[in-house]
Amino acid sequence: MNRATSTPQHRLESTRPGSPSPTTAPARPGVTFTRVLAAEWTKLLSLRSTLWTAVGTILAAASLAYALGLFVRPGDDQSGASLIVSGYLLAQLGALVLGVQVGTGEYGAGTFRATFTAVPRRLPVLVAQVVVTIVAAFGTAAVALLASYLVTIGARSDHGLIVTITDSETARILAGFAVYLVGIALVGLGIGALLRRPSAALVAGVLMVIVIDHLLAVNPGKIADTVRALLPGSGARLLIDDAGLAVLDATSLGPQLGAWGGTAVLGGWVLALLLAGGYRLRRHDLT
Amino acid sequence: MIEVEALTKCYGPTRAVDGLTFTAQSGTVTGFLGPNGAGKSTTMRIIVGLERPTSGRATIDGQRYADLVAPLQAVGVMLDARSVHPGRTAFRHLLAQARTHGISRSRVDEVIEMTGLESVAGRRAGTFSLGMGQRLGIAGALLGDPHTLILDEPVNGLDPDGVLWVRGLVRDLAAQGRTVLLSSHLMHELALCADRVVIIGKGRLLADASVPELTAEGGSLEDAYLKLTSDAVQYRGRSATGSVVPITGVTR
Repeated sequence: MNRATSTPQHRLESTRPGSPSPTTAPARPGVTFTRVLAAEWTKLLSLRSTLWTAVGTILAAASLAYALGLFVRPGDDQSGASLIVSGYLLAQLGALVLGVQVGTGEYGAGTFRATFTAVPRRLPVLVAQVVVTIVAAFGTAAVALLASYLVTIGARSDHGLIVTITDSETARILAGFAVYLVGIALVGLGIGALLRRPSAALVAGVLMVIVIDHLLAVNPGKIADTVRALLPGSGARLLIDDAGLAVLDATSLGPQLGAWGGTAVLGGWVLALLLAGGYRLRRHDLT
Repeated sequence: MIEVEALTKCYGPTRAVDGLTFTAQSGTVTGFLGPNGAGKSTTMRIIVGLERPTSGRATIDGQRYADLVAPLQAVGVMLDARSVHPGRTAFRHLLAQARTHGISRSRVDEVIEMTGLESVAGRRAGTFSLGMGQRLGIAGALLGDPHTLILDEPVNGLDPDGVLWVRGLVRDLAAQGRTVLLSSHLMHELALCADRVVIIGKGRLLADASVPELTAEGGSLEDAYLKLTSDAVQYRGRSATGSVVPITGVTR
């Protein structure tokens, strides 16, 4: 600390106007989207919580898939892809947490002051957060999928499950795992950007994605089924095999969404939440 | 040069800033004073675009902050020492800020060295003391080598050594022709480092004068400040017996 006071004059020499040191004069000065993206990426990777959330999500997905795999017996007629992605039930929580962390990370300790005085236009920061969330959630989902494959199909050959990636249904289910987790992470980001408090955002996210759906499932009816179909969790239809979807649509009194209809619903939620978060960010004071 | 013109900010029925006009000239250190709740921080947040004024305007070298192409390289800002994610290291925090402007890693190391944070740059900010947080905030403000600096209570929590360093730093920056706007409650400190003083109370301008002008009647800067703000103090403590603590500075 003492060194700091010794010769301030000398220390400032390199910062004199008129003689900027080469290290402080970038080719093109100013804020660009690429630079904001690099900054957001640095921020995401510089927090241990990001790593722990990713590791936790992968472990949760693989553990659940492994546990459910233990109940599979030869001749069960279960699709291998459905078993691999069955860990999504827990993994969606991890994805939600990841998004909420990115969305609320600015506001817990006032980091937003440093962030938005550097990028006063504000919206590029949110767009960059969308990109880093997509990359992080997709990477986590891909590793979780691989781990789930290894502990289910890879570890046991006696149950007779086969996975053919060229089969369109199988490909849709496996890709759906990544699409759904990315979607839920973006829902978390949107809620986080909107509410700015981690605990409030997490509670709201869990209610929207998981709890409300389960409460409504107890009381089926036209209204309850319609509302259930329009919740973000509807995106998980992408993970259900054709036979399961047929049963689902046959028993539902709500809209018949098929496999991709749920993805559209989830996409709608992501868009609406991010637009609302962006509106709040752009129009309102940051105090 | 920072120009604040007829700036007003209302929060519902409350007028936090009320028709405030003042200028902080280049090459000078302008002290920004006022009782708690006078609107100093609100004014500073409006200048750097975190808040929108209800009416009036604030510009830096003729431009609104939000219109600056490279804000960090025009204006260095330190509003609150607690503006760092507690889980991020000092170095990563500064690096993320630098990346938004394509400022190099070596400049990050440079400001860490300038603020004396070399030994703790790899530590997470959540473990920092208030003084270390202040140094990190000042490092962030210096990152873009800006022509204008806006520092809210920069010496708050610093050790005597650090206070001396900030005093030397802002004097040097002004001597190089830069604009420094600095708020503080330490009158003695401001008398030593500020050229001009802007005093506000209840969001209104009470005085905009040089330090010698304010102390012309023979009192200290503190006496002048207490006299000017005696009607504008919103939060006044009481003595243990319940009576309002007399303002000794005015009568002395």
